[in-house]
Amino acid sequence: MKYSLLIVALLSTSSLLSAFELFNPFGDSEDSETTKMTSTPTLQTHPVQIADTPTIEPVNMRPNKNLLTQTQRVRVSVIGQGVSPTQTASPAQAYALAKRAAIADGYRLIAEKVKGVRVEGQDLIQNMMIKRSFIRTSVNAMVKNANIIETTFKDGLCEVEMEIVLSYVDFSL
Amino acid sequence: MRSRDGNRTFLRRFLFITLLSSLALNASEYLISYRYVVKDSALYNETLYVSKAMKKCDGKEQESIFLNTDKEKSLKKIITNNFEEFIYYIHKLGLHINHKDKTINLEHTSTSILTLKTTCFKVDINDNLAKITPLK
Repeated sequence: MKYSLLIVALLSTSSLLSAFELFNPFGDSEDSETTKMTSTPTLQTHPVQIADTPTIEPVNMRPNKNLLTQTQRVRVSVIGQGVSPTQTASPAQAYALAKRAAIADGYRLIAEKVKGVRVEGQDLIQNMMIKRSFIRTSVNAMVKNANIIETTFKDGLCEVEMEIVLSYVDFSL
Repeated sequence: MRSRDGNRTFLRRFLFITLLSSLALNASEYLISYRYVVKDSALYNETLYVSKAMKKCDGKEQESIFLNTDKEKSLKKIITNNFEEFIYYIHKLGLHINHKDKTINLEHTSTSILTLKTTCFKVDINDNLAKITPLK
């Protein structure tokens, strides 16, 4: 009888100890360590990498290397487009006016390529919907010594291929 | 009373001055400006102003253009007769471009203005040719 009571007491203490270890979050066992890691997440400093996917390096918009050197020339080629007005006196006038518009477009494209474009944008969103979208671009430049390479006129559309040769001397003065 | 030799020298001087002034009058200076507007890829407006300079211009001579005069003495008429050639030459000289684009609710409009700012040109008009030289 004494032995049976002793065995029951030992069993109950062992079961209590095991139950305490199971619910103790800061115990010394390996299971308790994993629960600790998951309960307090930390920010990972390394980016998540997918297998066999190269990481993309940020693009340097202003390279230190000079595009124009004393021995090198840069050729910029564009195609300007222009249309003739709806009312013209003759096909010749339509051609002349469309060509003038195409040349202006060519000048604009050259200026955009060489000097750059200023872009401004504004979107108005109300109730999760775009109410008004507004994009404005502008170019301001001085273009000289642009050459007309080829002119085509078809169905009221005039296309002018133009080019400009940039050399170091043009910008060094 | 003047001697005969004195009159002769006076006549020579007068003729020399007359010749010089006539040569100088032939080479005159003009102010020219040009501007055209292109709206939505179509030519909208074009202006070319030519006027005689009221005072002497300064600057170095640049590349010249030679236009046929067809016995015309007026620069405006000479330019009108050779308009395309002259406009192409002005383009080569250099134009200032001011372009503006607007896209409102995906509807696109554009305006380009090309301008030659008022520039002084030295003009020599002869019987058959007019030499036009910009001064910068």
